[in-house]
Amino acid sequence: MRTVTLWLLTAGLAFSQQLDVKTQTLANGMKILVHEDHDIPNVAMYLFFRIGSRNEHTGITGISHFFEHMMFNGARKYGPRQFDIQMEKNGGSNNAYTSRDVTVYTDWFPRTALELMFDMEADRIRDLSFDPKIIESERGVVASERRLSVENSTSGALSEQLNAAAYVAHPYGWPVIGWMSDIESWTMDDLRNHFRMGYAPNNCVMVVAGDVTAGEVAGLAKKYLEPIPRHDPPPPVRTREPEQQGERRVVLRRPAQLPLQMISFHVPQSGHPDHMALEVLGAVLTQGRSSRLYRRLVDRDQLALQVSQGMALSLDPGQMVFRMQPRAGADPARAEQALIEELERVRSAEVPAAELQKAKTQLLTDFYRSLKTIAGKANLLGQFEVFFGDYRKLNGYAAELEKVTAADVLRVAGQYLGERNRTVATLIPEAKEASK
Amino acid sequence: MKLVTALAAVLALAFPVAAQVKLPPYTRQVLPNGVVVVMMPRADLPLLTLRAVLRGGAESDPPQLAGLSSVTAELLRRGSAGRTAGEFSEALDFLGATWQASSDDQSTEVGMEFLSKDLDRALGLFADALLRPAFPEAEVRKVLAQRIDSSRAAKDNPAGAIGLYFRPFFYGASHPYGRAAGGDEISLARIGRGDILDYHRRMYAGRNLILIAVGQFEAGALAPRLAQAFSAAPAGEAYAWAPDVAPQRGSSARLLLVDKPDATQTYFQIGQPGIRRASPDRIPLLLVNTLFGGRFTSMLNDALRVTSGLTYGANCRLEQSRLAGGIVISTYTRTEATEKAIDMALDQLKRLGAQGVTAEQLASAKAYVKGLYPTQRLETADQLAETLKDLEVFGLGRDEVDKLFERIDAVTLETANIAARRYYQTSGLTFVLVGNAGKIRAAAGKYAPEMREIAITAPGFSVP
Repeated sequence: MRTVTLWLLTAGLAFSQQLDVKTQTLANGMKILVHEDHDIPNVAMYLFFRIGSRNEHTGITGISHFFEHMMFNGARKYGPRQFDIQMEKNGGSNNAYTSRDVTVYTDWFPRTALELMFDMEADRIRDLSFDPKIIESERGVVASERRLSVENSTSGALSEQLNAAAYVAHPYGWPVIGWMSDIESWTMDDLRNHFRMGYAPNNCVMVVAGDVTAGEVAGLAKKYLEPIPRHDPPPPVRTREPEQQGERRVVLRRPAQLPLQMISFHVPQSGHPDHMALEVLGAVLTQGRSSRLYRRLVDRDQLALQVSQGMALSLDPGQMVFRMQPRAGADPARAEQALIEELERVRSAEVPAAELQKAKTQLLTDFYRSLKTIAGKANLLGQFEVFFGDYRKLNGYAAELEKVTAADVLRVAGQYLGERNRTVATLIPEAKEASK
Repeated sequence: MKLVTALAAVLALAFPVAAQVKLPPYTRQVLPNGVVVVMMPRADLPLLTLRAVLRGGAESDPPQLAGLSSVTAELLRRGSAGRTAGEFSEALDFLGATWQASSDDQSTEVGMEFLSKDLDRALGLFADALLRPAFPEAEVRKVLAQRIDSSRAAKDNPAGAIGLYFRPFFYGASHPYGRAAGGDEISLARIGRGDILDYHRRMYAGRNLILIAVGQFEAGALAPRLAQAFSAAPAGEAYAWAPDVAPQRGSSARLLLVDKPDATQTYFQIGQPGIRRASPDRIPLLLVNTLFGGRFTSMLNDALRVTSGLTYGANCRLEQSRLAGGIVISTYTRTEATEKAIDMALDQLKRLGAQGVTAEQLASAKAYVKGLYPTQRLETADQLAETLKDLEVFGLGRDEVDKLFERIDAVTLETANIAARRYYQTSGLTFVLVGNAGKIRAAAGKYAPEMREIAITAPGFSVP
């Protein structure tokens, strides 16, 4: 396998080193990354604001996500609905997402709409409107989103309970969408304060990828974005999660066809030197049907319908979360026991060389795949800039991956996947009488 | 990246910002045993996407065995003459390759994506799975049991489950689309290994097989390898398509209420007869549906989300399968607002039928559909492979892409509004609601003289 891997890594390096990016920092502190790609006559424009649910406090949980919605509800020049109306009639579409750490606005449009997009983005960053009637209506929209993704979703409801138990102090413990009572109660003052705090140009990285030239982007940025005044970014998040000193368990009983289980371990922030070894560990355990947990739980023992693992990018120490759906009739405790046995196995002996190589190959080919589209490139560039501190680290991804040894994987598994650092959440189905 | 930059300059000429996009060049040949081979070289990433498409799909499932085509596709990787399921997965993962096998209304698609330099090994796996699967008894039992659990688990997510209830109620059990495409706990329990062997023997035949390759490769080298790997397929017979049976508009409305007593939100869909993929009305309808429920500023989303805050999202989908399908409104709202939201959706439907769309709206829809098309259909090898598959399965020519913008431009306000009036009606609708029946039953009753009710815990997705 060695020669295969070397070839692969050569290909990886050759590719990633050639992702050409031009940067510019405006006088107000806003940083802009441009990647020219003329394959199709379209552009992906991504704005990363360094504000998310970690910048909230009790009583206003979910307000960052609410702002993600409010940013489409009108500003000074482009009033209510106009952002979407103008965008769609010019052949574009948009979305946005909020996480614990960032709020990201994602615009996709034909190159002919480039100047319009700069004008509209600048308008809402500088002069967002706060119309009480629109705020009330949007509150209803977000409440519906919460009912969709949490209250009426077994995985959403269980995940919320898991995080609330895994964190006792740090803001990562509350849901990004917010508690329902906070969604129903935040005030106009809360909203104004939060906007002022998060939407400083110096708190934003803009990535433009696609059928543009760095020169035209620089000109438009100077014209539309540079006049927006700089102001204070959000204050540092002071609270640090104290070390966990023993397993925590949560049970959620609700009507469901099948049980569900999630197991979380605290891991360091994405910029930490152990991050890449943890990525490899995750792939060994759950990536593909030859992974350890799939083979054991889904295939051999047939205790679970599926098993997966996720480690979201994070600015503060985050989580590695295993999700598993026990089979109908299978005892969730047995499935959990089998999963933990596999974790103990990976903590007690080095992963064989061939298996390590397989995991690296999987991660590297996935990395390629995330670069297939201009949208994928824009997102990845922004993530590297925000979470790893420098977009140029994207070009070093393959080399960093190659450096991970079996000893590194054994060490991080031993350090982070232990009983003391574990939180287990289990959804146990309960019957409910039919409605009368 | 020098290579990409050089290529990009060429492509920029091929895709001017002007009036029309073009499908990149590809070749099509037919092997002696009937296998169609379509190849489109792309040079941007060192990856190759390979797809095998079999005509048939869910349409070809025997009526009592819904899910057979889908289960057969899943089992291809689970043991062949030369490999166990475990060995196959190991080999696939060592290449960092992806694998997907699924069925839609009219075809089964098996896809693999891998690094171009791994062609020989990847093609070995691909052909082995498609042409020489062993369907070991133990794997058959395992897959069927997992599928049965999955079809139950789907009910824990009402946003997804409502679509599974809608189809049988809308199309009826005798229509090929009226059966659960992936099977349900009732039909899956009836499937045996013999059914799977028989289905594979009939359907995975040269005359029913289309191979599509898109990505980085040398055409001169790939063609003979594909021909060699697939010359082993028996010619067999092409699948004979089922006769076209369009869903009929009822003389009055019908309603199915699925009781999920713990739901705090009601999910509902409202459907009526639409078109086949190959219908001449497709382009005007695509534009009208974009305006009615196909984008953020659509009439439905504007009324139910933006104006009233009743929901996180409201849309209308225009089904485009080989057989005539539906036009289906879909949204959800808190239990207490169910009636208000349904009324509001019906108001929008009435408004569209009565007033049609304006010239300004039509121009906006045209720009929207054209502006996004390159990112949806022409950017990646997967998207291009999907487009090539559509051309083959639906029997369309490359004009489908090369003249698309021209055809969009040709839609007049009059043709758009004829389509709006003809297809967006308010009578004979099919309603499906998933929610707390105890709280919404009375409101639901006002929409249809005929109302059926089923508990979400009852097996399957249709009323017995």
